[in-house]
Amino acid sequence: MNTVVADITYRAMLGRKRIWLLVLLPVALVAIAALLRLIGGSDEHTAVLLMKTFAIGTMLPLLGLIAGTGVIAPEIEDGTIIHLLAKPISRPVIAVTKFIVAASLVAVFAAVPTFIAAYLLIRDESGVAYGFTLGALFGGVAYAAVFLLLGVITRHAVTVGVIYALVWEGLVGGYVPGARKFSIQQWAQSIADQVSSSPFFKTDVSLGFAVPAMIIVTLGALLWAGTRLRSLSITGDD
Amino acid sequence: MTSEPTAVIHDIGYRHYEGARLGRGSAALALAVNSLRGVFGLGRTARAKIMPFLLATIMLLPAVVSIAVMALLKQDGLPYPAYAVTMQAVLAIFLAAQSPYLVAPDLRFRVLPLYFSRPVTVVDYIGAKLAALAVAMFLLIAVPLTLLFAGELLVDRPGPPHTSQYLAAMGGAVVYAVLLAAIGIALASLTPRRGLGVASVIAFYLFTSAVSAVFFGVLLSIGRETAAKWAMLINPFFLVDAVQVALFGTDPSNGEGYPPGLWACLIVPVVIAVAVAGILLRYRKAASS
Repeated sequence: MNTVVADITYRAMLGRKRIWLLVLLPVALVAIAALLRLIGGSDEHTAVLLMKTFAIGTMLPLLGLIAGTGVIAPEIEDGTIIHLLAKPISRPVIAVTKFIVAASLVAVFAAVPTFIAAYLLIRDESGVAYGFTLGALFGGVAYAAVFLLLGVITRHAVTVGVIYALVWEGLVGGYVPGARKFSIQQWAQSIADQVSSSPFFKTDVSLGFAVPAMIIVTLGALLWAGTRLRSLSITGDD
Repeated sequence: MTSEPTAVIHDIGYRHYEGARLGRGSAALALAVNSLRGVFGLGRTARAKIMPFLLATIMLLPAVVSIAVMALLKQDGLPYPAYAVTMQAVLAIFLAAQSPYLVAPDLRFRVLPLYFSRPVTVVDYIGAKLAALAVAMFLLIAVPLTLLFAGELLVDRPGPPHTSQYLAAMGGAVVYAVLLAAIGIALASLTPRRGLGVASVIAFYLFTSAVSAVFFGVLLSIGRETAAKWAMLINPFFLVDAVQVALFGTDPSNGEGYPPGLWACLIVPVVIAVAVAGILLRYRKAASS
């Protein structure tokens, strides 16, 4: 962890238009929760539906994508990453620092609004709010690591990430039960299910698989990103 | 007294252009054609071709499967008007992946003043980009539909072919193309960064589809069916499907139906107008910087 690199990355993430995307989605989540409460749909079933489809299913992958790729991909695209790589800082340390920044952003912008929205709807009934907050937190960290890796390997990180989140987790995961085992979204739901006792919420992936898988994916992605940064080549854009 | 001019422009031997000058219309057309080719990666590197052709191939898959089902199992394949709604995730990814390519590099490298120093005006530029993306989106929907229709005619199932459904779906494809292109360019032109452009377009799609799904589910569970059907229209794909239902009398593809009347046909032009107005405002500012 290098504080100077972290500081620069935070400024790049929060000082640009990127912050609007980071802010708008959580605000929308809380606004929807408030609206649902107003129209009288604030029961446990609604809360679980909102958390599952919007908080974990839409907001979490998007924020992970924006934060995970945003901490490194623009610098690689501009070529300004050379100035950073030329400094006597170990490349894996750079990768870890960028990851910590991305993970902390996802934690603030995804996990906290998830808790606020769930709490707004049903207070702490059945532990839904705590469960989904924990799920969003760990899922967000895993997403940040994976999308950071994508940002280092490919120029089309955002597109590839979107295809993973939409096609693999959304479409394929919807039809093929086996594919759900390899989906960060499902692992996040497993954690949420463990904490909450809601009868409206069932997950397919056991916690015994989800937690080790999440740890392996996060650490593996970080290691790979660090190694990859050591031999990064800056080539022209198409 | 008048002094002799001291500044002289020397002819340093560049070859002059003496051919016909085709003017504004041709310039805009050339820009549109070049943009359209670029959307599919033609004239760009091999890596730029991977994504559009991969997505276009995925769009064709259901048509191929449907033809096989018609030929082997003697059953109806995927209905034409439901094609775009079924493949909405792929269309959204294509839109998100390709619309920033059209506008982001020009903004990022600040070459817009170069365009506008030629006969091309701001309106021409925006029109060319919008037309290119709209034609690309139309091809993406219309080619699989046409393949499916050709397959249906060749398989020669008993009973008349679904010609009216096919035509309705093609009409719907035009509406899809124009609406999606306007939204895509409007969102992508907000940022000169391609990655952020991709993220904002896909965020728009995911946001609208999730919001419509959540509100539909909740409103239905508390017994407000009319309101639930309105919530469906938040998703742009269901909005156009509602236009299809209202204009061409096709079956709703969401399995639930839409609010009665021509409201969707009114909302679509308003959305397009807002998006185009947004693009115009954006480029008024960008052109002078």
